[in-house]
Amino acid sequence: MAGIGFELRKLLRKDTLLGLLQAYVYAGVISSGPWVLSIVGILIVGALSHAVVEPNVLVTQFQVSVTYLIASSLILTGVLQLAFTRFISDRMFEHQENLVFSNLNGAFLVTFAAAGMFGLLCAMTLFSGFGVVYRILMLSGFVMLCGIWIATILLSGLKRYLAIVVLYASAYAIVVCLALLARPWGLEGLLAGFVVGQFVLLVGVWLLIARQFHSPQFISFDFLRKGVIFPSLMVIGLLYNLGVWADKIMFWFYPDTSTAIIGPLRASLIYDLPVFMAYIFIIPGMAVFLVRIETDFVEYYDRFYDAVRSGGSLTHIENMRDEMLYAIRQGLLEIGKIQMLAVLVAMVTGPAALKALGISELYLSLFYIQTVGASLQVGLLALLNVFFYLDQRRIVLNLCALFVLGNVLFTAMTLKMGAVWYGYGYCAATFLTLFVGLYLLDHKLGRLEYETFMLQ
Amino acid sequence: MSNEENFPKAADADIALLLESTFPYISGGVSSWVNQIIQAFPEIRFAVVFLGSRRKDYGNLKYALPDNVVHVETHYLYDDLSSHGVDVVSRPGDAAVFSRVGDLHDAFRRQGAVDLSAFDEVTARMMHGRNLTLKDFLHSEQSWAFITDSYRRFCTDPSFVDYFWTVRIMHQPLWKLTDIAKNMIPVRALHAVSTGYAGLLGALLARSRGLPLILSEHGIYTKERKIDLYQSEWIRDNRNPFQKDSSELSHFQTMWIHFFEWLGRICYDSADPIIALYEKNRLRQIEDGASEERTCNIPNGVNVGRLAALRERRGEKIPPVLCLIGRVVPIKDVKTFIRAMLILANRMPVVEGWIAGPVDEDPAYARECREFAENLGLGDRLQFLGFQQIEDLMPKIGVVVLTSISEALPLVILEGFAAGVPALTTDVGACRQLVYGLDEEDRALGAGGRVVGIANPEELADAAISLLKPDNWYAAQAAGIARVEKYYSDELMFDRYRAVYMRALNHACVPGADFAPMRCPFGG
Repeated sequence: MAGIGFELRKLLRKDTLLGLLQAYVYAGVISSGPWVLSIVGILIVGALSHAVVEPNVLVTQFQVSVTYLIASSLILTGVLQLAFTRFISDRMFEHQENLVFSNLNGAFLVTFAAAGMFGLLCAMTLFSGFGVVYRILMLSGFVMLCGIWIATILLSGLKRYLAIVVLYASAYAIVVCLALLARPWGLEGLLAGFVVGQFVLLVGVWLLIARQFHSPQFISFDFLRKGVIFPSLMVIGLLYNLGVWADKIMFWFYPDTSTAIIGPLRASLIYDLPVFMAYIFIIPGMAVFLVRIETDFVEYYDRFYDAVRSGGSLTHIENMRDEMLYAIRQGLLEIGKIQMLAVLVAMVTGPAALKALGISELYLSLFYIQTVGASLQVGLLALLNVFFYLDQRRIVLNLCALFVLGNVLFTAMTLKMGAVWYGYGYCAATFLTLFVGLYLLDHKLGRLEYETFMLQ
Repeated sequence: MSNEENFPKAADADIALLLESTFPYISGGVSSWVNQIIQAFPEIRFAVVFLGSRRKDYGNLKYALPDNVVHVETHYLYDDLSSHGVDVVSRPGDAAVFSRVGDLHDAFRRQGAVDLSAFDEVTARMMHGRNLTLKDFLHSEQSWAFITDSYRRFCTDPSFVDYFWTVRIMHQPLWKLTDIAKNMIPVRALHAVSTGYAGLLGALLARSRGLPLILSEHGIYTKERKIDLYQSEWIRDNRNPFQKDSSELSHFQTMWIHFFEWLGRICYDSADPIIALYEKNRLRQIEDGASEERTCNIPNGVNVGRLAALRERRGEKIPPVLCLIGRVVPIKDVKTFIRAMLILANRMPVVEGWIAGPVDEDPAYARECREFAENLGLGDRLQFLGFQQIEDLMPKIGVVVLTSISEALPLVILEGFAAGVPALTTDVGACRQLVYGLDEEDRALGAGGRVVGIANPEELADAAISLLKPDNWYAAQAAGIARVEKYYSDELMFDRYRAVYMRALNHACVPGADFAPMRCPFGG
């Protein structure tokens, strides 16, 4: 856990405005790097290709294809992401580093097999009318993305944020360059650029892990053994990713809000772009989240368990518990404040941005509410992270289930209620989950010493 | 018969012997005495209830079980202390019940006479799972509130985690005891051979089943535990150097001592008669809360006839051999004996020191002793013989030595006397009474050896030189033989215990017999 918190504290300790700013910028870059780079990369490819690729619909087809690849691969690997990361961090705790690399290869093999089968099935059925090249590119892109998510979350677990950002930046630079070069070949050309970029990224993360960890075997499957894998984490991973994507998928397949783009793939032009833009506006919140959780909270978290283990007085233990709670409250409050600012900025710049993207100003309110929802999602992410630190998997599981249910239910309601309400479903679902989560956290921390001592 | 599955089992028995960490797994004074008593009453069907710490702390049986032991059960109080962890869920706990537990603790904290009604209610709940199960203790919120409240009010050591685990480890075996009490086969009377956990088990059984409880105390349990606690390094002490006063016990040591004192109080309150080995201990029992009219002395006895035969096997000369007979454990202070041997080696060229007793009870201490002797360069003049049969040993030695810092009434001195071997002992337990005599008539028999202060190798060496002088030695031999024949024969002891047992068993036969004091058959 040292890595990132240490770096940030070093920057914060300078105790100057510049140091503070550096800390937050650093945190912002490393916490939101990967997905901002992906979104920006795809948007750039689209924007630069508009003039070259004919007809224009091919660009949209490219963007939608990639979006589907990302969404489906995230949801599919959600099953393994957290469970595998936990497996690795448990082994690291036991100083069994030699299991890391071989099990990563094992996880890759399992993921590739599952993703390959699922992808092949889709290619044979849903995409049966498409060209072989498109199908092969989609299939290979899908399989590689699945591998990339597994490796990325593993590296995040190891706090190698900077390395991740560097790798993503290089990979998406390659994606942009190759896609631009391959523009003459239309959809397949753009897609090929994307796939090659992902290949570079996959090899990059794999080499990064291979360089740090050595295993006596090349491949092993310890992570699948009963007792070392947490089924609850598999469900949590799946539910969280489902929860994040549920409203988007519903908008893609609700007739009033979507159009068919390519084969079975539909997109919601009115919903998707505001959503992606809204996600850009949560970078400051993510930065604050990382700084607060990885420095203040973790500091008191460590001190709490240190006091428990090494003979602190009960008053001291309770004080550390209170400080921990205070750090969480402060963190969430700061996320709230900075996101409030972000929403204001979104409101100011929104009209111009939408105009530039050629979207009707009718959807401005959708963009605003999406920004609010995404801001709440940062809070939720911070909260879930705290629960993970406290190893409260059951609570996280219930919250994720609530998030999925809420998102599906409220989004369905807003779809029925009409365009004015679009976006409110997602926002309400994150708000509800965050609210329930905060209540549970308060309750949980109130009895933290009791549970720490008596439930062992 | 070392396999626990081969132990005899019966549906009922006459007398249940409640034994803590002694017979049949540990050899030593108390265990030999238990063996002796069982064999002396072949007409009584005994159930043996052995309480140990952990199974792995004990080896095989050290005694063959006599035929009249019809039932044996063994229980290990500190086994699987931490084997829970599966399906641990929080539970509220019953506030009213924990408030009664609070009453019980308040009663313990007050000095003086104690009303044990809270004890009876609380243990009945523990025994029958009524809102005070082990899970309630380990996991309930009420239990947590109780523990934290007690910590805040009474704990003077800052470390909460140490307090918490002291409380847990201290109390968790109590649920095992209530379980044992609940499931034990029907018996007519109970005989606890110490206070402590065995005494508490006796009290639980006596109070819940209305059975008579006989208590025989060889040492004084709480005193022995205090010695253990003084020496223990596993009990944490978190006071800083300014707060620390080495003459003062740490809070956790004090907690343990109070705990054992209360186990004793409860047992004294429930037992009748309360039998001490000798007067000093009887007075101590009264001081510790035993009511005087229930107490009495029954000293140990040895089979004088059998041991007298060993006198014939002695050679002409007095063997220049000082033999410490006892387990090699810290309480026997073997190192003082080794130091005295070094002094003697310089002053008496021929004298040898033997240490006869098992070394497996505290292997680390035994190793220390060996290394100590080697470092002093004692060579062959000091030998560790391991466990020895008394019959083989006695004819070969000149003096029975005891350097213990604590003893009760050591049988080995009496065995030595009967076999014609004088004794050289520290002034502990009944040793002075055995060597010099108790009353006027007894003292007139003369000194059966020498008594010296504890941890004093110089004095021990001087006394050994004096005792080994033929005139002194023969006088001591004669005095020892006379004393053991007159006061400490096993027939005398058996007669007295026969009376105790008969009273208890008859008492148990009378329907509706109340728990009135039975009166000890022998005065002081």
